[in-house]
Amino acid sequence: MAASEGGGREEVKQQFTTREGGYTLMRLSEYSRPTRLTYNSQNHLPVKVSFISINDNTGCNDKIFFNVGRELYFYPYKGVRKAADLTKPSDKRTYKGSTLPTCHDFNQLTASPKGVSLIVGFSAGQVQLIDPVGRENSKIFNEERQIEKSKVTTLRWVPGTEHMFLVAHVSGSMYQYNEELEPVATAPFYQVLKQGEDYAVLTCKSKVPRNPVQRWVIGEGALYEFAFSNDTKYIATASHDGFMRVFHYDTMEKYGSMKSYFGGLLCVCWSPDDRYIVVGGEDDFVTVWSFHEKRVVARGRGHNSWVNVVSFDPYTTDVLPPNMDVYASDDDITHDSNHRDRSFSSYSRTSVHSGTGDGPPALSYRFGSVGQDTQLCLWDFSEDQILNFQPNRTRTSTQLSQSAQCNNVPHGKEASSLHPDGTQTLSNRPTDKSKEKSKKDSISRTPRQQYLSKIHETIMCMGSKAIGTTLCPKLDDVFRLEPLITKKIAYDRLTTLIFREECIVTGCQEGIINTWARPGKVGMSQHAAASGTVV
Amino acid sequence: MQSSASAVVYTVPQDSFTRGSHQIMTCMSSEPKVQSKTCFSFPFKMGVGSSGLVNDIGPEHFPPNERYFGLVNFGNTCYCNSVLQALYFCKPFREKILGYKSQPKKKETLLSCLADLFNHINTQKKKTGVIAPKKFVAKLKKENDLFDNYLQQDAHEFLIYLLNTVADLLQAEKPTDKGTLKGKPGTPNGKLNGNNNESKPEPTWVHDIFQGTLTNETRCLCCEGVSTRDEDFLDLSVDVEQNTSITHCLREFSNTETLSHEYKYYCENCCSKQEAQKRMQVKKLPQILALHLKRFKYAEQYHRYTKLSYRVVFPLELRLLNTSDGAESSDKLYDLVAVVVHSGSGPNRGHYITIVKSHGFWLLFDDDIVEKIEVSAIEDFYGTATDVQRSSESGYILFYQTRDV
Repeated sequence: MAASEGGGREEVKQQFTTREGGYTLMRLSEYSRPTRLTYNSQNHLPVKVSFISINDNTGCNDKIFFNVGRELYFYPYKGVRKAADLTKPSDKRTYKGSTLPTCHDFNQLTASPKGVSLIVGFSAGQVQLIDPVGRENSKIFNEERQIEKSKVTTLRWVPGTEHMFLVAHVSGSMYQYNEELEPVATAPFYQVLKQGEDYAVLTCKSKVPRNPVQRWVIGEGALYEFAFSNDTKYIATASHDGFMRVFHYDTMEKYGSMKSYFGGLLCVCWSPDDRYIVVGGEDDFVTVWSFHEKRVVARGRGHNSWVNVVSFDPYTTDVLPPNMDVYASDDDITHDSNHRDRSFSSYSRTSVHSGTGDGPPALSYRFGSVGQDTQLCLWDFSEDQILNFQPNRTRTSTQLSQSAQCNNVPHGKEASSLHPDGTQTLSNRPTDKSKEKSKKDSISRTPRQQYLSKIHETIMCMGSKAIGTTLCPKLDDVFRLEPLITKKIAYDRLTTLIFREECIVTGCQEGIINTWARPGKVGMSQHAAASGTVV
Repeated sequence: MQSSASAVVYTVPQDSFTRGSHQIMTCMSSEPKVQSKTCFSFPFKMGVGSSGLVNDIGPEHFPPNERYFGLVNFGNTCYCNSVLQALYFCKPFREKILGYKSQPKKKETLLSCLADLFNHINTQKKKTGVIAPKKFVAKLKKENDLFDNYLQQDAHEFLIYLLNTVADLLQAEKPTDKGTLKGKPGTPNGKLNGNNNESKPEPTWVHDIFQGTLTNETRCLCCEGVSTRDEDFLDLSVDVEQNTSITHCLREFSNTETLSHEYKYYCENCCSKQEAQKRMQVKKLPQILALHLKRFKYAEQYHRYTKLSYRVVFPLELRLLNTSDGAESSDKLYDLVAVVVHSGSGPNRGHYITIVKSHGFWLLFDDDIVEKIEVSAIEDFYGTATDVQRSSESGYILFYQTRDV
C-alpha cells in the first residue's frame, strides 16, 4: 500500500506491543492523497497534520487537515472506527506557484460548525488564513514578503486568543501577527522592545498598529519549532544553533536554556504538567530538561538519525498522585464509550501504575518521537528515576549552573575579522529607554550584519562552553533513557506524531498518514469495513 | 555544471524567476483566486561568474586576505579539484602548505607543486577567479600511473594518496630521520589508511592534523582474554545505510562484531583459532576528522561498482560517541568545514564538487565555478530517501575540524 516494493527492504511494522498492550495499524484508516499516489519524496517539505473537532451533526466531529507537496486536504477523520473515504475531501487546495504550504494550525477556541480559522505557513514566508469549513474569504499575511522571505517552519495560534498567532521562520525570526490588522504596504521598521544576550524582541515603529505586532530574533540560524506551555505562560523554542530556550511569553524574559549534545535542535514539546520539556534533533538523541531545575536530566538514544518530532502522550502519562483509584481496571476504560470527555490534565489510569501496585506516589511520563530514520520510539520515565540518578563517577557533576554565558567574547575569530571596526557586544547593554535609539541601530538595516556576527560569536562561544554544565552535561552525567519500543513504521522520513485518546497518528514525508489503534481500541471490524469502502 | 545550478537557488525557490508566480495561488477553493501584483525583486543571478560571487558575498563583507578561485578541469580531473579545494579550506592544512613554500626546496615534488598551487591562489591580486592547476596535475600523473589517464578517479583514493605522499615527502626531508621508512599508500575502501609499522616514523604535521588512533579490542570467546591493539588512521571509512545519520554510521563502525567461521581469530592465549568479539573505538581524536562514506559497493550481478545514494544526514556540529574509555577529550566538538560531494551513479562516472565553510558562510566549488550557497542548501547533499534513484548528489567525504574553545 505504502510506497513501492523495494526488494529486500526491511519490513515496515504494522503493530507493536508495549506494557499497556498492543497497538495496531488501522490499514483502512490510512489518509493520503485521494489517488493514494505517494508524493515525490525528494521535496523537502514535511507532511504535517492538524486536527479540529466541531459539532456539526455529520456524525463525525473530528476533522483532519494535512499538506502533501502542493496540496492541502481536509477530510472527516473517522479514526479507528470507520475506514477513511478519500474520494470526498471536504476541502482540497492546490498551490500552483512556487511557494508551497509547510505547516498549519487550527484555532481551537473559535472553531464552530459555521467556520474555523486555519493558518497555513508557506515556503516563501507567507501566511494564509483560510476556512476550510465555512469557506470564508481568506487573508494573506506577509504577501509581498516585506516582513520575511524565508520558509515558515512552525506556526501556532497564541493559546486563548482569537486573533493572535505566531510564525517561526528559517531565518531565526518569529513574528506575532494580529489577523484583524489591515495590511500595510510598506516594509516594517523595528525598534527594540527587549534584548538579551542571544535574542531580541522588536516591535514595529508605526503610527497605526500594524503587523507584525512583535518580532522575536532568537539565536542563530533556523528556528525550527516552538511550543507554548500548557499554562500558556511560557514558550519554548528549538533552534539550529543547538539551543532550546524558554521565555516568559508576556515579559519576554529568558527563563532558561539548554544545548544539544551537538547539532541543531529540530523539535520541542512540554509534558502535560509543564514540569519537563523534551527536545529532539541532529544528535539523534531525545533530551529531557527539567523546567524547575533548569537542567538537562536525561538523554535517550533510540534513533538512527535525526529526530523530527517529539510529543508527550497525555493519555499514558500519570501526572496526579496515584492514590485516586477512580477507575477499577484498564478494561473498564477501554471498553467504555468513545466519548469519554477526558482532557489530559484529568487523571487517566491507563497503564503505568496499575501493574506495580502501591508504590510511593510518583509522576510518570510517556512520550514518543519520530525521526528521519523512519522509526517510532516510545519512552517512559518517572520522576523517581531522574531524582535518584547518580553519575557513576566520583567527581561531582554540580558545576556552574547557567554559566555558559560569554561576556565580552574576547577572542574574535572568523566573524570579527569581517568587521574590523568592532561594535559593542549586545549582551552588556542596559535595556532602559534612553539607550533605545542606539540599540535600534544595532539591529536595523546595515548594522544587521554586525549584529549577526556578534550573535554568531556569542553563540559559538556559548555552544563550546556548554559541555559539562547543566546546559549540556557530559554523557555519563545524566540519566540515560532506553526506548520502550523502537519500530520502523514507514518507508520515508516521519514528520508527524500526534497522540489521541484512541490512537496514535503518524505521518511521513511521502504523504501517508497512519492511525495506530491503542490497545483495546480497535473499533471497526476489518471485514465489515473492507467490504464497504476503499477505492 | 548542472549540480551547481541546482545547488544555488535556495534563498528563493527556483521557478519564481521564470514564472513570476510567487504569490500564494490556490485552485479548487470556492473563493476568488488570490491575485497579487508582483512577486518581489531579489538581486539574484543565475550562473554567477566570479565577480558575481563578490556581489553575492557583498564587497564590504568579503573576507580580507581570502581568495575564492575555481580550478580548471583538464578532462575528468574534478576528483582532484574537489579534494584540493576541500584541503585548501582545511585551515591548518593550508597554513602548513603555505608555510612549506618558504623552506629551501630541492627538486620538484608533488608537495612542492601543491605548495606552489596554494601559494598561487593565496597571492592572487583578484579576490575571485579561475586557476589552472596544470603543474600539479601533470606531476600527479607522472608520479602515479593510476591517475595518468583521462578517466574519472575516486576522490577518496586521491585524498589518501595525496596525504600519504605529502607525509612521506616530509619524512624524507627531515634531517634527523635516519631510516627511510615509507608510509603505505592508502588502501582503497580499506578501514585504515595509516601506518602501523612497529618502528613508527616521526610524525609529520600531516599526522598532527589528520591522524587519530583507533583501539582494536578483541575478546576471545574461549578464554575470555582481551587483547588490544592500537592503529593509526588518517580517515575513517564507514558503511552507509538508508535514512541514517553519520552518527549512526560511526556507531555501527564501532559496534562489536563476532569473528567466526573462516574469520576466526588466532588467540595467543589459547594458541588456536577461536571465535572472538572485536570492536574498534576511537582512542585519540584527530584535529581534523575526515570521514569517508562507503557509497560504492561492488555489485556481483553487474560486475562493477554501483553507488549507494542512501540519505545519510550529517550535522554542522559533531561529537564522537564511539570513543574508547580512556580517550582524551573524547567530547571535543567538531565543526563541519568541507564536504566532497559525488554526483552521478558510479565511482568512475559522474562528477565531484565540494562545499566548504569559509568565514561563516558556505561556498560551492564546481571545477571553475564558485558560488555562495545558503546553509539550508546543504540538505541537498544528504542523498536520496527512496531507493529507486541510484544517482544522486551526495556527501562522500566529510571534513570535521576541532573547534578551539
